[in-house]
Amino acid sequence: MVNKYEGSEGQVMSMDVPDRAVTVEEAYDDLSRRSLSRISGDLARLIYLASTRDYNTGQYRHDGLAARFRAEIACKALELAHRQIFCRISGYSLEELVREVELYVSSSLQSREEVLRVWQKLEPYRVALPVDVNVALAQLFVSNVKLALAILRGRPKPRAMGASAS
Amino acid sequence: MIELSSLIVGVALLLLLMAAATKGWLASRQSEPRLAASEEDATEPCPEEFVNRVFSRRDWEFVRGLKAGSIERLFEQERKRVALVWVRQTSAMVRTVVREHAQATRQSKNLEFSTEINIFAQFLMLMGVCGILSVAIQIAGPLWLGDLAHFAQRLAQRVAKLQESFQAGVLANTGEAGSA
Repeated sequence: MVNKYEGSEGQVMSMDVPDRAVTVEEAYDDLSRRSLSRISGDLARLIYLASTRDYNTGQYRHDGLAARFRAEIACKALELAHRQIFCRISGYSLEELVREVELYVSSSLQSREEVLRVWQKLEPYRVALPVDVNVALAQLFVSNVKLALAILRGRPKPRAMGASAS
Repeated sequence: MIELSSLIVGVALLLLLMAAATKGWLASRQSEPRLAASEEDATEPCPEEFVNRVFSRRDWEFVRGLKAGSIERLFEQERKRVALVWVRQTSAMVRTVVREHAQATRQSKNLEFSTEINIFAQFLMLMGVCGILSVAIQIAGPLWLGDLAHFAQRLAQRVAKLQESFQAGVLANTGEAGSA
């Protein structure tokens, strides 16, 4: 069976959908290799993964991954990746999180100041929380991002980004 | 005379402490009128590192190094809020565990008095610690309370484990009775 799909890098590819049983881990590895590794910074990865989730159903959707594996497997792999990245970010110190937010806003096409202002006002990072995550942990994440934004708004733009982009 | 003046100072300090605690408690009630349903339904246990992060001084030292009063105030306010959510969640979780335990004991035919006393004593101690933590966080903030928070976390885990092993025993006994 051959399907066409648009990969994360915008290319249209033909893929054989495997008939054998595929595991969520395989789909997760594929997602990490093809999509997540190309995104700079864990915060950007978190936002990307959250954006693959349907607001109404809470189900994750990624056409490319679904074509390679199956829609349910892709959904589970995306959910797993989302939770893992979220747990990793939640463990960051405030200083590390400030660097992540700086990296994220600096790589945006909009001006740094504008992104910081809008993020402070609309708090879009609240939508990046995985479903059923521990409430105290979610509060800590939201609180730390809020602090990071306040710190960055009071700080001039750095000349060159020296932050980790792994 | 000196004893009387010491007593008056002591009572005054106690009243001051109670007033501060009440004020903090009322303030927290106004900002968050009651425990949110999602805090009660903690679907995922709080990771152990959480207490290290919220109650540690590392982030505070970073913030202090920025030398910005407004950020320091925001940090104190935010950490206090998050720490209180954790305290409320821990006490809600333990109340749920004890409620489940009470239901399980009704089905059990061979209750051990010492186990029951142990669970009840730990429950009471944990609720007391949560109460102290709640008031102390309101007054002084969470940064000085790391040891007490770790103690509460360990106690909550112990109560949950005791209940789990009790529940497993009840299920095993029910299974044996069913097969006999």
